Amino acid sequence: MTLALTIGVLVFGAVFLMLQRGLVRIILGFVMLGHAVNLMLMSAGGVFRRAQPLIGYNPADVVSDPLPQAFVLTAIVIAFSITVYMLTLAATGSDDDTEDLS
Amino acid sequence: MVLLILLLVLAAAVIGTPLADRALGRHAGWLFAGVLLALAGVVLALAPSVLADGHTPGFTLPWMPQIGVGLSLRMDGVGWLFTLLITGVGGLIMAYSTRYFPPGRRLGFYLLMTLFAFAMTGLVLADDVVLLYVFWELTTITSFYLIGLSGPGADRPAVRTFLITALGGLALLTAVVLMVLRVGTTRLSEILADPVWSQDPAFATTIALLVAAAAFTKSAQFPFHYWLPDAMAASTPVSAYLHAAAMVKAGIYLLMRFTPAFSDLAVWNAALITVGLITAVVGAVFALQQHDLKLLAAYSTVSQLGLLVAVIGVGKEAALIAATVHTLAHALFKSALFMVVGVIDHQAETRDLRELGGLARRMPVSAGVTALAALSMAGVPPLLGFVTKENIFKGLLEAPGPMWVGPSAATAAVLASVFTFAYSFRFAYGTFWGTPRGSTDVHEAGPGFLAGPAVAGVAGLVLGPAVPVLNRLGERGAADTTGTYYPAGLSLWHGFSVDLFMSLAAIGFGALLIRWTASGERMAGRTLFPVNGPTVFEFLHEGLVGLGRRVGDLTRSDSPTRHLVMPVLVLTAMAGVAAGAGIEVPDQYGGTTHPLDWPLVVLATVAVVGAVMTGSRMACLVMVGVAGFTTALWLFLLGAYDVALTQLVVEILTVVVAALVLRRLPRRFHRAPRSRTVLTALIAAAAGVSAALGTYFLTGRRDISGPGQYFLDHSEEDTGGTNVVNTILVDYRALDTLGELIVLGVSGLIIIAVLNSSGLLPSHGSRWVVVSRRSAAYDADDNTLIMRAISHVLLPLIVVWSVYLTVRGHTDVGGGFVGGLVAGAGFALVYLAAPSASVARIKLAYPKIIGAGILVALSSGVLGYVDGSFVKPLHTGVSLPWGGSFHLTTALIFEAGVYLAVVGVVLTALNQLGLEESRPGDSTLGLMAPTPDQPPTNAPEEGSGDHPEDPLGTVPNGGTR
Repeated sequence: MTLALTIGVLVFGAVFLMLQRGLVRIILGFVMLGHAVNLMLMSAGGVFRRAQPLIGYNPADVVSDPLPQAFVLTAIVIAFSITVYMLTLAATGSDDDTEDLS
Repeated sequence: MVLLILLLVLAAAVIGTPLADRALGRHAGWLFAGVLLALAGVVLALAPSVLADGHTPGFTLPWMPQIGVGLSLRMDGVGWLFTLLITGVGGLIMAYSTRYFPPGRRLGFYLLMTLFAFAMTGLVLADDVVLLYVFWELTTITSFYLIGLSGPGADRPAVRTFLITALGGLALLTAVVLMVLRVGTTRLSEILADPVWSQDPAFATTIALLVAAAAFTKSAQFPFHYWLPDAMAASTPVSAYLHAAAMVKAGIYLLMRFTPAFSDLAVWNAALITVGLITAVVGAVFALQQHDLKLLAAYSTVSQLGLLVAVIGVGKEAALIAATVHTLAHALFKSALFMVVGVIDHQAETRDLRELGGLARRMPVSAGVTALAALSMAGVPPLLGFVTKENIFKGLLEAPGPMWVGPSAATAAVLASVFTFAYSFRFAYGTFWGTPRGSTDVHEAGPGFLAGPAVAGVAGLVLGPAVPVLNRLGERGAADTTGTYYPAGLSLWHGFSVDLFMSLAAIGFGALLIRWTASGERMAGRTLFPVNGPTVFEFLHEGLVGLGRRVGDLTRSDSPTRHLVMPVLVLTAMAGVAAGAGIEVPDQYGGTTHPLDWPLVVLATVAVVGAVMTGSRMACLVMVGVAGFTTALWLFLLGAYDVALTQLVVEILTVVVAALVLRRLPRRFHRAPRSRTVLTALIAAAAGVSAALGTYFLTGRRDISGPGQYFLDHSEEDTGGTNVVNTILVDYRALDTLGELIVLGVSGLIIIAVLNSSGLLPSHGSRWVVVSRRSAAYDADDNTLIMRAISHVLLPLIVVWSVYLTVRGHTDVGGGFVGGLVAGAGFALVYLAAPSASVARIKLAYPKIIGAGILVALSSGVLGYVDGSFVKPLHTGVSLPWGGSFHLTTALIFEAGVYLAVVGVVLTALNQLGLEESRPGDSTLGLMAPTPDQPPTNAPEEGSGDHPEDPLGTVPNGGTR
């Protein structure tokens, strides 16, 4: 339940930021959405087993599901590179305004 | 086997066209005529076996065995007839084409014509519905190109024709899919023999209507009839072949082919007879109205096709015998007439009846051929057309249904024939007899030009008295379509019967009509309908395109918000629907909440509230950073140490890079109206609640997943690694990781490319720090002394640590991603500690590092081929001299590639975005633009013209330096 609450709060913040004017807030919203989605992936593995999946360290019946962790790990790095790319776009042109005409 | 050879020869002809065209120019037509006529000879040689002995040659080759689709060919009587028409008439028209076109190369024409012949032969021989559909569409496509090729005015007619026939193609495709799903095979003969047609009338009706729709569009039946006159924009050989003898007959073929399944279906009979007779009458009336000989012939084709459709709709043996033989008769007289139109057009330089007349004396052969063809079309004895039309009347009299149906249908056909007689007369008499008009300097065409029409015309004359030779053909055709052998008994004279009087009525009333209308003059050119086909089509077409544009306008916006909000709203709505409908979910599996979680919920809430409330960019960035650290802590609590470590370092680097960018932007966000804030907050709240509820109800309600358990159980044995997450990344899912690595590297290169084409905004550095001149913090050098001193020691340590993390990743917390990020963080530290950007610049060719990383990862993947497949890791244990053993694996090389690529991307971001100022072209040069504290003299090699530090190896556009 706590994880679900965290995800809900993060999604709220992410969606709010993404719907604002200006690319920087959209990017920050995107970053936050990334956090929420990664945690959601983790929750898919079940949160009742919380030991790290290292063989030999922990009893096999308490270690967490390694598959979502592998997904999330690469997702974090990819999200980082995309974030940097979008930040580059925000810093070029004349401004980071996304609604010049409005 | 002979069927395959037929198709292969045609395919070879298609492939050979460029060569033949290069060598022979327009005379290549003789070659193709030879090929097609030879094939027609082969088909004729099959006649005794197919028609007399009732054999049905077949051939099957697997094509897509997974879904049961085969290259199945089959030639029954119907297939035999159509194959003969396609090859025979095609041969005549190919010969005719050599004289029709001016000298020169005709690659497009011959290529498409042979391709069409191939497609059409495939269509009528296919015994697989998928194959049938493919060939069907191929004829549509070749027809489109052949019309469009004919001149500047032909593009719209080509498009209109294509869209109408393609629409029918979609109906056929739907029918094919439904039939295959229902019957479970793609074999046409098996589908037609299936009992489903009599058992399930609803299904049979659906398919019957779809097949009829496909045939109606292809064979130009009302209300789609207008495409055929429209398609007369094509050159005459194309019209003669596609729009008289072959392509328009594809619809007729399809209807005959499906008659076994639908002939007892009332809706099939009604649709075919009604539409066919309407088309027959309307087409004939329109034909009489034309001044243009070619349009006259086109409307006449529409009308004749209508008769064929109607008689097939009757579904009885006699009717199908009539359909079979009339198809042959029509192909002969209509292709002859079309070719004659081309001859007249060529010799008299017009085909307008108002400018023609009395040509018989100058063009006696053409006149004779035209007379033969027109008499056959008009149904005058002793020509073939007379016999076959009389059989159509006879067939229509048997139309199923109440008593009045048969006589009414036959009467309608007679009405159409009255007009047919009149326009046939108009065609022949108006051109070759009557008052001489127009140019007098007209000569007879050469023998090569006239051979084609002459053969077709004379065949109609010979086959009239000799019509009993077609008995076998008619009988076999009827047997193929109705299932019973029925004596055809075709003959020129068989006593005084009803149908003879109907023929006589058609001729008699036709003669009267000619008298009343002055052989059509009085009716010609008059508008009978307020609209015509092409106008209606264009109206509908434009309306449809406009509608599409209006629908597209809903999403055509430059504002990212409008795009971003759509998926959020849709997902939220879906969540709302799911919540309303209620979903049964199992109980929570195990305890999901720990006391330690709560501080993190609080922390996340604080971060989100702060990020949402603040108007300062920097504050917002910090708050989002807090949210990121909360996420990292969550990952620690969930036992994902590798992931948590990655998240932690990424968060640091994100904040550093974002801070570099924020220097260049206004300090505060754009102001937004309060209403917008409230609205977005509401949407965000709905999305947040949906996400929380969705996560709560839909996750964590089962034990560990099967794949997860598999990895836990087997990773050590399979890969020798004990860090399961890492083994998934570099052993099990290495190809995925490689792809992600490439995305990562490409994003680094894109950053360089973007900054190369458009420069960065200037930074507002002076605005950020307000310190007194006397303060030690004022001078950047003094200010960063401690940081620099520490970073000098720390950087090597960090790099060593990052390498260690990478190497041990396979067995313990760590890995290439974390290692690369840690090293990148080390560089970030050095960067931040530097007193100015130029000193901070890390002079490493970072694009090369990215490239090297990807290459290393790829080459480790190639090593996998040693043991079977790409990216399969090889591993072995090595005994160490001091005891114990080390596990050696090529996954380590892969990790090194990951490490390098990540380091390269981080360096790219730091260096590219850290520039004080930049202009297009400057960003990759490693040179500073002149600034007050960086005089241009400091910059080495400025303006020397070569760019030794250009890390991409690209010379920027001149002019900027």
